[in-house]
Formats: sequence, structure tokens, C-alpha cells
Amino acid sequence: MTELYPSLAQCAIVATAFKILLFPAYKSTDFEVHRNWLAITHSLPVQEWYYEKTSEWTLDYPPFFAAFEWLLSQAAPYVDPAMLVVKNLNHDSWQTVYYQRATVIVTELVLLFALSRFVKSVPEQNRHLAHIASLSILLSPGLLIIDHIHFQYNGFLYGLLILSIVLARKQSTLLYSGITFAALLCFKHIYLYLSLAYFVYLLRAYCLDPKSVFRPQILNTIKLGICVVGIFALAFGPFASWGQLLQLKDRLFPFSRGLCHAYWAPNVWAMYSFADRALIPLAPRLGLPVNQEALTSVTRGLVGDTSFAILPEVTKEHTFALTFLFQLLPLIKLWRRPDWETFVGAVTLCGYASFLFGWHVHEKAVLLIIIPFSLIALKDRRYFSAFRPLAVAGHVSLFPLLFTAAEFPFKTVYTVFWLILFLFAFDQVAPVPERRRVFYADRFSLLYLTVAIPLIIYCSVGHQLIFGLGRYEFLPLMFISSYSALGVVGSWVGFLVVYFTA
Amino acid sequence: MAPPSSYRPRKKRKFPSSYAGSNNSLIAELGGKSSPAFPLVSFLWSARAGVSQWLVLPLVLLAVGLFRWAVSLWGYSGFQVPPMHGDFEAQRHWMEITTHLPMAKWYLYDLQYWGLDYPPLTAYHSWLLGKLGTAIDPSWFALDQSRGLEDPLLKVFMRGTVVASEYLVFIPAVVNFLRRYTRMQNVPVWSASIALVAILLQPATILIDHGHFQYNTVMLGLVVASLDAILAGRMLWACIFFVGALGFKQMALYYAPVLFAFLLGVCIFPKIRILRLLCIALVTLVAFAVLFGPLVIGAIGEEAREILASAPQPPLLQQLPIDLDKHSVLYAVAFQLTQIIHRVFPFARGLFEDKVANAWCAVHTFYKLHRFEASLLQRMSLGATLGSILIPCILIFRHPRASLLLPALSSVAWGFFLFSFQVHEKSVLLPLLPMTLLLAGDGGLSKETRAWVGWANILGTWTMYPLLKRDELRVPYFVMTLLWAYLMGLPPTSLEAYRSRDSSEDSAEPHVLTKLVHICFYLAMIVWHVVEAFVPPPSDKPDLWVVLNVLIGAGGFGLAYLWCVWKLIQQCRKIDQKVAEETQKKNQ
Repeated sequence: MTELYPSLAQCAIVATAFKILLFPAYKSTDFEVHRNWLAITHSLPVQEWYYEKTSEWTLDYPPFFAAFEWLLSQAAPYVDPAMLVVKNLNHDSWQTVYYQRATVIVTELVLLFALSRFVKSVPEQNRHLAHIASLSILLSPGLLIIDHIHFQYNGFLYGLLILSIVLARKQSTLLYSGITFAALLCFKHIYLYLSLAYFVYLLRAYCLDPKSVFRPQILNTIKLGICVVGIFALAFGPFASWGQLLQLKDRLFPFSRGLCHAYWAPNVWAMYSFADRALIPLAPRLGLPVNQEALTSVTRGLVGDTSFAILPEVTKEHTFALTFLFQLLPLIKLWRRPDWETFVGAVTLCGYASFLFGWHVHEKAVLLIIIPFSLIALKDRRYFSAFRPLAVAGHVSLFPLLFTAAEFPFKTVYTVFWLILFLFAFDQVAPVPERRRVFYADRFSLLYLTVAIPLIIYCSVGHQLIFGLGRYEFLPLMFISSYSALGVVGSWVGFLVVYFTA
Repeated sequence: MAPPSSYRPRKKRKFPSSYAGSNNSLIAELGGKSSPAFPLVSFLWSARAGVSQWLVLPLVLLAVGLFRWAVSLWGYSGFQVPPMHGDFEAQRHWMEITTHLPMAKWYLYDLQYWGLDYPPLTAYHSWLLGKLGTAIDPSWFALDQSRGLEDPLLKVFMRGTVVASEYLVFIPAVVNFLRRYTRMQNVPVWSASIALVAILLQPATILIDHGHFQYNTVMLGLVVASLDAILAGRMLWACIFFVGALGFKQMALYYAPVLFAFLLGVCIFPKIRILRLLCIALVTLVAFAVLFGPLVIGAIGEEAREILASAPQPPLLQQLPIDLDKHSVLYAVAFQLTQIIHRVFPFARGLFEDKVANAWCAVHTFYKLHRFEASLLQRMSLGATLGSILIPCILIFRHPRASLLLPALSSVAWGFFLFSFQVHEKSVLLPLLPMTLLLAGDGGLSKETRAWVGWANILGTWTMYPLLKRDELRVPYFVMTLLWAYLMGLPPTSLEAYRSRDSSEDSAEPHVLTKLVHICFYLAMIVWHVVEAFVPPPSDKPDLWVVLNVLIGAGGFGLAYLWCVWKLIQQCRKIDQKVAEETQKKNQ
């Protein structure tokens, strides 16, 4: 099993050809967001980056990402100087579109590099598994939909994440893993959700002796401390010296948003809202009090300020407590068994916990689970069984991001292509587990997979035929997110079992 | 309780370690390790060990579909070019008139604005799509009101109809044809899958149908279905499909001489079979009758006859020696038929349109052909075309074997493209299709065939560049062509097909002269692109670059024609030799 074809590079070439053809496809407001950031970082002094507010899409990523935009803006004047003018709101000449789309493709090379490092880091006899997993990440429909159509730079950011996970594999590169992750946090703070796993793992495996808790490695601790503090100082130091930290905090953590994001990420709160809706007609019979204000609220379900008619309100504190609790559980195991696979499992479970219980979660954050999970999904068939519903649900939940007719075939056909290819390939190669399987979810997951097809048809065509255009638009969204939430929760429960029994 | 299904040890099927001949050209043995010979092989590498076709085929069709749809995001012909727009508007306009007008008016209505000039099947196809589109949004096809409409949703609908038509006609036809053809040629399933991807990603067809906007794949698909029927021995079905192809687009005539010669040959050699000949003739006539039936019936109603009686007579009808009552049924029928023929075959137009890479346009550059009378030119072109197709037609007539069809079809189509009257640059799709199908044959993926077929395809796409540039299809042109070249291991991305292998006894490799000529052409194409992009043409010769493109293209196509004829002769000789050997054995 030494031959690994098609190679990562070959797939990257064909995928790049496809992505270039997608240049004129639909792009979301995120395109304008990033254009605006290019303009801000290129034309304003650093002190004003986080104060500029001509556009409603103010800079709300950490400083490294701003610097990254500044770097990208260096070549932009040769393409179309107009894109770098802060006042040119919604500027999208074809040169600008080509340029920005091209930067996404080019910066994705980081992901390619990280994946090839990942394949090399795996022992020879399992290398083909790692190769298939890498291909599945490289060709992920999530990245295609979010980065190359919707428009973001996740390929680059997840490349850094994978790089840091790969570096965590060997004791000798643990320090670099910590540094990379610290840098990643300064690119995009969403990765804070995973930071507890890193913290516990680095503390246990690098700062203490992996074999015994009572032998602290002082030198390692100092090295790691200096490096991490250094990275953060590099990112935030200048702003601290100008006394802008509070402004940065307001920009990076806008806590005024609601529990559910506009498109209902498929998490526990989506199921909670769904349950709340379902209870409304039953409430009089069960004698439950109904919050009339919530019932009549026009924005309900669509815009952030979700309020519930029957079930109790959920506050930020609740979500934090739940997220923290469900992150803590896997970390206890990581503390006791600090090996690489447990670490990746813990990262995945931290992603799960924050995605399922977090406050104002974007559906895009599902990549936070899928991508680390892909790295270990082929460990054996039990892992793969837990991964399967996630792969379906996670990607289906991204469908509402693209709602234009021309892009419908891309999201559906590409996702179906990817699911057939990789679920089949995974199924062919995943090794039989050493332990007997604990849960018998095969029938359930088959049923789950088949439900996806009528659901997608209903949400894309059927709903409009039945209710007409523009009526009950929340309904398909709610169905998709509840359906996906079921899959994500199911796979989470499955993976918890696998993780704790491994 | 039964153990969960995943505990069952998976069946490990055994496969013969030695493949049949054709796979040798796909696997390069390097230091005891086998590796794919060119990138497309790597993509199907894991399919070589007997992965079910039920898995490979859907994945291939999904993947090539994605590329088609991605190309369709780009511009189309005539976008924002009032007042006439382009092929997109023509097709949309036909949907508009066929859904709103009585059949008698289809070939008469406002001929100056994209009057219907394709044969009846296209008209019926337009009617069907027009009805579908009207059900979604009637404003897309409102009579006269919808001219030049550029609604983005309309674009999605129209693009969708091209993809749907292709997936209903062309793709099933190609898949079935390949299955039968590869089995006949003893080509392993794996090689067949690779050839399928190569054929379905052929850049020229994708760029014209899904970029420029046409429905060529319907006609090409019907031709392939006809070939498939021939392979299956169902000659009558072959006739029906081919009449369908002719009835969709008259350009299928490029293939007609070969099919005629072949079907005639089948009835005469090895022994004369009159009944078969009669059946073929009868079925062809019936198929034509069915094709024109609805339009003829549509012309004999009371109202329809009134319409036709008051319309100007088509020239063909004027030339008829008999005089008919203008209100009679016979007059209506004759009128309708002659009008369709008059519209479909534009004899009155020039020798060639625009700049096209064929012999006439090339000669015209150095020796102006205006000085001759139109009728003389027509006769000249007829003579040259007949001369160029004579040899392949005689060969296929004498050896009516299905395995010879592809080289015969490509050489005849090249002959038509180079010498016939009124050729479009898009017509290059016709010779390219049978030539590309050669990839699926025995040794089709060997370096020699791959080099020639790939070179002809890339050259063909390149000659359409001026057209694609007008449609704002430059990016898809470069992406699709380079991608295909990359997958096939061809220049400009790789010299794999031209590099000699150490153990070169078994697989055919291109001749040294071939290598030289091909490399020169590739270099010329690259240099042309650079010059075209950065050097403005001299002011007194604004078309210089296009003319250069045409000259190089015409030269290359001439070579492609010769290669196809040569292939045909070679294969005929092989067959003759075999027959001779067998008779010798019998005699002994």
C-alpha cells in the first residue's frame, strides 16, 4: 500500500481549475467585508484600523488577520486601485473579484502544505488512511462553499490549525505547535473554542512530564510561556501601547447579538427552538403558560433576538456553563492520557461542545468539528460511524448559505459527489476496531442519510410550490437546521462514547 | 444477535494481475513500482482493482457535470450586444416563436430576426423547452416582448436545458457506445472509464455548448447513439438515430457519406442482401416522414393554408415545374417542405463565414477568391470535398466493419470541414468527436493516439479562441484546455506523451517526425497567445492575428485529416492481412 494516487498536488491542481471557474459565482457580503478590510489596512495608519467605521463591516478580526489583509493588499494596486478606497462601498469590478478570489486560492496553499505534513507524519502502514483523510479535507465541500463561493479565508486558517495539530504529534515539535496555535488565535479568535484542549495538552505533555504529573519541566514551561506571550505581545502590544485594547475587545467580542444566528446553526438551541414551536399548539392542552409577546414577535426565528414562547429563556451564562462543562469532560481524559489521538479527539469534542451549546454560533463553525475529526475518523470503524452523520449533517447545514438558483447545483452536486466518494472510500479502508462496538447506530444513520434527500428537495423546490414565494421562509431553514442538529448531536453522542471507551 | 454488518470481513475480490494489452500504456513501471502514466490515470488509480461501475460512473458523471455548470456561469454569445445579440438569443427566440405561433408560421416569422433555420427536431425541442420555461416564468418567452431578455434566472434556465439535454442524449449515448465499443475491442473496463472521462471533458464541446451556448451535444449524441446501434447490429435503429441527428442539426451531414457507404456496404459485402437494403431505405424514409410529419400536418389546416397562400414563395417552390392551386393542401405541403429546406440550407451565402481554419479561408488569404463566380466556387468546393472524402468512403464501403467507423467518420468530417461550403469555426466539433472517441479503442490511450487526438483537440479549441474571446470566455478557455491537457499528459503542461519509454516494444509511440511537428504547433499556439495578448496588430491589418490563427489551424487540420485517413488505411490493411491468413489456413 505504498502508492498514493491521486496525490494531494494533483487533486489541488484539478480543484484549483474548478475554483477558478467559480470566480463569477455568487458571493456574500463577506466579500465586501474583506474588500473593506483590504482598503482599511492599505490606506489607513495602524492606529485607525479598529476605529474606522465608514462601512458597516468594521474590522472585527484580531490583529494578525488585519496584517494578513495588509499583506494581501500590497499587490492589489496593480490590479485595481479602486478596491483599496475605503469609501468605495460594494466595489466589485471584475478585477477586484478575480483578485480577491485568487488570494483565497493562493493562501489555501497553507492547507495543502499542512496536509502533506500530516500525511508524512503518519507511520508507513497507516499512510494511505492519512492520505485519504487529507484528500477529504482538501476537497471538502464545506471549504468550497464557504471559501470559494460564499467568500472567506478558512482554507488558510484551517491550514494553520492542522499544522499545529500535526506539530503536536512529536514531543520535539510541541513547542512549535503551541506557537502556531497562539498565532492562529491572533488570526481568528473563533479558535478560542479549541484552546482549552491545547492548554491541557501542552500543560500535561510539555510542561509536565508525560509519564508523571509530579515532574514539571521548568525549562519547557519557560520556553512555551515566553513564546506564547511573545506572539500575543506582537499582535496586541502595539494596540496596547496606544491604549486601544478596550476598543479591540468591543470589536472582537460583540456580545449584543442573539442566541441563534440568522440561519440557525444546527445546534442544541436550534432543537430547543424547534421544540418550543412544536409545543405552541399543545400548550393549552398541557396547561403551560404561553409568552404572548414572543408569539407575536415578527422577527422570531429569523433574526438574532430569539425569544421562546413556552420553554424558559436561555441566557449567555447558561450557554457558557454548558459549553464549559462539556469541554471539561473530555479534557479530564486528556489529562490522564496525554497522547496525540486523545488530543485530537479532545479538540474535536471542544469543537462539538462550543458549536452545540455556544452563544450565537454560525453554521460555518461546523468546520471546527469536521476538520479535526477528519484527521482521526479513519482510526477505526467506530470513529467512522460517529463521523458519518456529522459529514452529512454538517455539510447539509451549510446549504442555506447559498440560496441563488445558479449555485444550487454546486452545493448539492458537489456535496453528493464528496459524500459518495469519501464515505465509500472511508468505508472501504477503515480498519476493524479492537474493541466491540458499543452502539448500534448503523440503521439509524442509514435512515438519517435517506431522509436528507426528500428534505433537500422540499427545502429547495417543494416549499415554494406549496406555500408560494416568500411565505414562511423560516420553515425550510428550521427544518434543515433541526435535521442537521439531530445529526450533529447524534454524532456527538456517538463520538463521546467512542472517546471515553477507547 | 447477529454481529453488526461492519464486522463482516469484507470480500476481497481477486483480480488477474496481468491486464489485457491496453492497460500497458496506463501504468509506468519505474524501478519495480507501478505508477500512473499520466494524471488522469492517477485520478482513477484506485478504481483499477475492480471498483463497481455503479460507483465509478455516477462519480464521473457528477464531476464532469460540475465542470459543465461551472463553465456555464461565464458569458454567452451575444450578451449585452444589441440589437441582434447571439446564439443564446437565437435559441431563446425559437422557444418564443414555437410556443406562440402556429406551425405554419414557424419557418416564416420575421426571418430577419433570428428566423428559424435549423431542421424540425430543433424546432420541436425548442417548443418543448419553451413550454417548460413558460410554466416557470411566462415573461421569458412572451412573443416579441421578450426579445433580447437577459434575466439572470432565464440564463440559469437556459443553461439548465443545455445540461439536461446533454445528460439525456449525449451522455447515455456515449456511455453505452463506450461500453459496447471497448468490449468489442477487448479493452479493460478501467481503461474505458479513463477514456470516458477524457471524452466527457473534451474542452471544445464544453466551451461551445455550455459557454458560447448551443445544443450541439444533442446532435452529436444522436450520432453516437446511431454508432452504438451499428455496433449492436441494429442497423435500422442506426438509421432512425441518424435521421434524428440530421433532423436536429443539418451539420450531421458531415457524417452522412460514411454512414451511407457503410450501410450500403453492409448490404453488399460479403454477399448481397436486397431485403436488408430495402428495409434500411424504407425505415430511413419513414423516419424522415415522422420527422416532418407534425410540421406538414400543421400546414394543411384551413388557417394554415391561408397563411401559406399569402406568404412569399420559397425559391425552391418557384423552380418546381408544376403549377399548384395556392389554397390546395398539396400546395401547403410543398410550400412547407420547400420553405424548411430553403431555410435550413443557405445556398445563397458565401463560401465561408467569418474566419475559419479551413482550406478556402487559408487560400483566400494569399489568393483572393472573390474574383470567381459564386457558382464556380460552389462547384469547386463540391469537387474538393468529394475528392477528400472519396478514399475513406470507398474503404468503408469495401470493408463495412464497425471498428473502422471512427477513423472513417473523422477523416470524412475533416474533409468536409476543410473543403465544404459555409463552414463555421464551431463545426470543428464534428471531426473532433469521432477522433476523440478513438481514445476508447484498443491502444487508444497509447502515446501515439493520445498525442494525435490530444493535439487535434487542443488545436481545434485554439482555433475557436477568437470566437470565445468575443463571448468573454477567455478564462474558461484557458482553464478547460489546460486542465484537459494536464489530465492527458500533453503539452503545454507536460511532454509525457512525447517522451520515449525505456521498454518501448509493446506500446505505440509517436514517430520522431510527429513529435517535431506537434511540438512546433504547440510552440506556435503559445507564441500566438503571447503575441495576441501583448502586441496590437498593425493598423492596416487589424485581423492579422486571427488570420494567422486560421492559417496555422488549417495546416494542422490538414495533418489531422491525413492522420485519420492513414489510420483507416492501416486498419484496413490489418483486416485484409487477417482475412488472407485465415483463407491460407483453410486452404492448408
